[in-house]
Amino acid sequence: MSAHAEENPLLEGLDLGRRPESCALVIFGASGDLTQRKLMPALYSLAIRGLLPEHFVVIGAARTPGTDDEFRAKMREAIEKYARDPFREDVWERLASGMRYAALDFSDETSENSLVRILSTVDAEYGTQGNRVFYFAVPPNAIATLVSELAARRAAEGWVRLIIEKPFGNDLASARSLNELIADRFSEREVYRIDHYLGKETVQNMLALRFANGIFEPIWNRQFVDHVQITVAESIGIEGRGSFYEHTGAIRDIFQNLLLQLVAITAMEPPSDFTADSVRNEKVKVLRSLQTPDPTSVVRGQYGRGFVEGIEVPGYREEDGVDPASMTDTYVAAKLYVDNWRWADTPFYVRMGKRLGRRETTVAIQFKRAPHPPFAEATSDSLRPNVLLIHVQPDEGMSLAIGAKVPGQGMSIRTVHMDFLYGSAFREGLPEAYERLILDAMLGDATLFTRSDEIEEQWALVDAITSAWERDRTAFPNYAAGTWGPPSADELLHRDGRSWRRH
Amino acid sequence: MKTLLHHETWTGTDVTIRDIERELQRLRSSSAASGSMHLRTSVLTHIAWVPREWRDAAEETLQGLAERHPSRTLILTPEPTGATGIDAELALRSFAAGQHAVYSEVISLTLRGATSLAPASIALPLLISDLPVFLRWRGRPDFGGRQWRQLVGVADRVVIDTSEWDELRPNELCREFEKTALSDIAWARTVEWRRVLAGTWPEIRDQEIRLAGPPAEAELLRGWLVARLERGVRAVAPAAEISVTLDGVPVTAPTMFAVTSSDRLSAELDRFARDPIYEAAVRATA
Ligand SMILES: NC(=O)c1ccc[n+]([C@@H]2O[C@H](COP(=O)([O-])OP(=O)(O)OC[C@H]3O[C@@H](n4cnc5c(N)ncnc54)[C@H](OP(=O)(O)O)[C@@H]3O)[C@@H](O)[C@H]2O)c1
Repeated sequence: MSAHAEENPLLEGLDLGRRPESCALVIFGASGDLTQRKLMPALYSLAIRGLLPEHFVVIGAARTPGTDDEFRAKMREAIEKYARDPFREDVWERLASGMRYAALDFSDETSENSLVRILSTVDAEYGTQGNRVFYFAVPPNAIATLVSELAARRAAEGWVRLIIEKPFGNDLASARSLNELIADRFSEREVYRIDHYLGKETVQNMLALRFANGIFEPIWNRQFVDHVQITVAESIGIEGRGSFYEHTGAIRDIFQNLLLQLVAITAMEPPSDFTADSVRNEKVKVLRSLQTPDPTSVVRGQYGRGFVEGIEVPGYREEDGVDPASMTDTYVAAKLYVDNWRWADTPFYVRMGKRLGRRETTVAIQFKRAPHPPFAEATSDSLRPNVLLIHVQPDEGMSLAIGAKVPGQGMSIRTVHMDFLYGSAFREGLPEAYERLILDAMLGDATLFTRSDEIEEQWALVDAITSAWERDRTAFPNYAAGTWGPPSADELLHRDGRSWRRH
Repeated sequence: MKTLLHHETWTGTDVTIRDIERELQRLRSSSAASGSMHLRTSVLTHIAWVPREWRDAAEETLQGLAERHPSRTLILTPEPTGATGIDAELALRSFAAGQHAVYSEVISLTLRGATSLAPASIALPLLISDLPVFLRWRGRPDFGGRQWRQLVGVADRVVIDTSEWDELRPNELCREFEKTALSDIAWARTVEWRRVLAGTWPEIRDQEIRLAGPPAEAELLRGWLVARLERGVRAVAPAAEISVTLDGVPVTAPTMFAVTSSDRLSAELDRFARDPIYEAAVRATA
């Protein structure tokens, strides 16, 4: 807070809330799916809670022709359909009054200038003070032009923040060249690389769980943890996005970003504070300590025909836009090691895929067994090791599996679960990840966004894995839709005398 | 608004604490058996002291509160004139939250005759251990009375609403500050105005300030300006809504987002420490 604010006696003890400075939000890709399903509903939820800046406008930009009124009508429909809050005319009116649409193509000079004109008009009319958030909800190949053109037309006044959707690059070389292009024109503080999973409450709560509670940290290491299992399972297929997925696969879609972030947050050392750089420094250290897995420690899969929730679904190669001989991975499992003092020799088994048995994102910390259970006879198979299970979705929360005595005579012991679900303990529905992230970017808090060096570490590991794939050709499809992946993924754990968690 | 999934109740007259505990246990098992409740997570115990004339207003606030603070609420209604005894109404409610349920217990007790003079002894065995206790006192307390003294003694924080009083009683309030952490919902209602006025610094320092508004809120706002700016501010003019002029020019009213009384109370239940700025504002009105 400025010296001016410190002197103001009226500000003392006054909670100003997390209200960002006045600004204009420009969404590139405003005619797209993300804007309708996520961004506009998130803005509305922020508006209803009074969290948007005092002076605020939204400018939708895309190549599709359209007028301000058409854009407003479409956004209203999107909010009515997708927002988590009931529709309120007064809130909508306020939001809509500052909404504009700019039909433009950035590869064409005149339209760039038309955006600049709109922005200076809204600055004058709405008091947005030259502050800009540019949200790139466009395909990755459109980003480079936008970055260069925006840099060339940077306003003299106010701050600029760029929010860049995933995927950020396609491999290490492309991510690096995009980073370099951006770094030439903007500073790292101005760049917010989004992965919406990081905006989820549970992901943040992992940090709270680990670092705000004295009981977990002492046992969060190789001495007490047998291994870690991270699952990112989807029951849906590729949802008509065949041409996109063909170039992506599970390794780029999930492993590169979400999965490695979950590994980093699970394994990281306590940051000295909760600022963006301290947290990201610790995460990068984990990514740097990750051993490149040898080819026998990585399993890839592709789903064939099968049944999901009682309905027969086609195999991946039968989907629209997919090569009938496609070698794209829809499933990846791997055994990773974090080479540091805390985690040496503790495997992190990770798996992710499409068309699996059900939708679930979890981190399971499996602890070592009690050294000498005095109830050997009573326990038999029914007593499993303690597991701390963190549910990222659905049903954000956590549960702890512990052994407990079955009521009655004798000493019979069973595993029971103590469950904690966020929705059950705290007021308010959980905010959507995009609400949190858009608000953070407007406030200038980059903690939940990915830094350039993190992205590059992630891609380096992906490149190392995929280059090995070029030499070996797995027979695809190798798992049926609706199952838990290829048998080789089970073998990956069986070899170590372990197995994937039961579902 | 979340959907009420499940509601189970039990009523009894002339009950003991043991009866209440037993019936709560029974309601819990029956709702667990019916599959409607799987877990209980509590964050606090909320005691509401609700004289008969405040029952309806309190009930409405609690409806909104239960779905956000899944906890145990103890509503105590004194009936000093009746024959000594306790009547109870227990309700287990669960609200949909994602695929699971948020759970709350409401224990409404009518304290008849002598029991109305010993409310803490009834509340104590019904508190959830190790969790904070908030006391919401409806209407104006009798600060010297034993009921206030006792219940303040078991609460970590007391929530009042001075707009429910006939007048702000700063001297009495100030004596209470030393005994407990107090929250005032009338004060919470002025927060948007305080933010707006903070934005008028430094000009406001030397301007003529005129305030109008409902007595509690406007008076607290005046006290706050006096305390923070260390200068005199004219007495407030009564009005239904707060308004402020600086050197005769009206200050634009803040945008009021729809905030219900449940929201206000709920926000107070997230606060734990004493509020020195509020206390100074009250002192300045004395
Ligand atoms: N949808 C999601 O849930 C989701 C989730 C995570 C990440 N993402 C990422 O978010 C971005 C947008 O996704 P989306 O699903 O909204 O895609 P989409 O529905 O295909 O929309 C893409 C938008 O970008 C515009 N566009 C396309 N090419 C352009 C170009 N060369 N220059 C300027 N604008 C261009 C399109 O509008 P015009 O054709 O009118 O110009 C359209 O508004 C992608 O990078 C995607 O990976 C999306």
